[in-house]
Amino acid sequence: MQRIDEPVRVGAVFGPGSLIRPAWFDWRRRKYVVEEVTYRWHEQEGSTTAIHFTVTAGGALYELVFDTGRQSWVLAGQEAEN
Amino acid sequence: MSERTILHVDMNAFFAAVEQQTNPALRGKPVGVIGAGARTILTTASYEARACGVKTGMTVREAKERCPGIVLVVGNNRRYTHTSAGIVAILRDYTPLVEVFSIDEAFLDLTGCLTLFGPPERIAHQIKARIRHRFGLTCSIGVAPNKLLAKLASEMKKPDGLTILRPVEIPALLETVPAGELCGIGPKLQRQLALLGVRTCGELGRFPLAILTRKFGVVGERLQQMGRGLDDSPVIPAEVGDEVKSVGHSMTLDRDLSQPDDIRRRLLELAEMVGRRARRYGVAGRTVTLTVRYADFSTFSVQETRRDYVNRSDEIYAAATAILDRLTLAQPVRLLGVRLSSLRSQAAQYSLFPEEQKRLLVAEAMDQVNDRYGTASVTFGSILDQDGRSRVIAPAWRPEGIRNVDVE
Repeated sequence: MQRIDEPVRVGAVFGPGSLIRPAWFDWRRRKYVVEEVTYRWHEQEGSTTAIHFTVTAGGALYELVFDTGRQSWVLAGQEAEN
Repeated sequence: MSERTILHVDMNAFFAAVEQQTNPALRGKPVGVIGAGARTILTTASYEARACGVKTGMTVREAKERCPGIVLVVGNNRRYTHTSAGIVAILRDYTPLVEVFSIDEAFLDLTGCLTLFGPPERIAHQIKARIRHRFGLTCSIGVAPNKLLAKLASEMKKPDGLTILRPVEIPALLETVPAGELCGIGPKLQRQLALLGVRTCGELGRFPLAILTRKFGVVGERLQQMGRGLDDSPVIPAEVGDEVKSVGHSMTLDRDLSQPDDIRRRLLELAEMVGRRARRYGVAGRTVTLTVRYADFSTFSVQETRRDYVNRSDEIYAAATAILDRLTLAQPVRLLGVRLSSLRSQAAQYSLFPEEQKRLLVAEAMDQVNDRYGTASVTFGSILDQDGRSRVIAPAWRPEGIRNVDVE
């Protein structure tokens, strides 16, 4: 996966419960609608939890990361050949 | 011991299956999971790759020779440990007696839970369904009266199998199962047994104990019991498991090292990893062991036992380098390991000597910063440029406690 590590605007559905599901994201002036959340996992960096999502959108695979401390989203990477 | 019901869960091609679930483009394709290092081997192969003859432990070159179309993926250890911890949480919904055997295997003692959750078939189907729903992964499950047979049963149908061994069926089954299929009988032992004319479990169970004891010592009786499908070892949950006897880390280096300064930098990195984990869990040790593997894979360990207990990284490093300085290295070094043992519980030991006290306070401050901002946010300047080690999940990894090693 090619590393991107750029802050992005994300539309996400929170709930029910503690579930978070990214629905779309804006990246480089283009809106990507999430088709499938293929995997999610947590990573602990010190006292901060980062929730990672791999999602498919427009035929490619992306990794979005939600920093629960900063309440911010980053597009971590892109796998173009999907 | 009265009749028990033991369930063994074995995730199918775990790392490769997680990668296939993460990236839909990999599903149905031969996939090999490799490490990030330059000298990596396959940590797991998908079933599609296994069908071409690819096996765990092969080099990338060997895997490509067997399966030219294999897709190689650099593994993500944090994804695997998170998934494993989630699976263990599901298993603990059925019984507190869950023994995590490795990152992708666990035993459950269901004996006391059957009246609550129903027969073991139902529990096994529920576990499989919940793991598939939550992670999209499949597992093979074996149910039997003991751990030995439950593990044997889970191996019998892969992937996505469920095998229940009922006591009445076991003697007939063992007559045909090769002894090497039992957990604990590896290829070398299997060859030694074959020389005695023992090929199946049934033959092993009937073999004269006197000959087995003469050949294998105290293990002989255990082997005969295994051949008969007998095993009274309990399922031991982590919280009552064996007390941790040591804290250690090792790293396979991306390139073989000969220069003492290069080796010392790696030792400092290892000492910091060991010291930080020991301090986090409030233990200190008297014995420091240095392990060296040469380029030709020959490996040795040298240990030194001190009078005092240590858990500060600089003290562990000093002990490890003192051992290194006494050695004459015959070859370039491929792997280094540092281990702290002879442990006891010990909080920070304040010193009357100002210099010692300063070092302790610096270590505490570093730990506090790293606890808040993440591992190695503050570390020793001389190891800042180190990025050439392979990162693997040790077999001793567990989802919690002192064996919950941070992975990268």
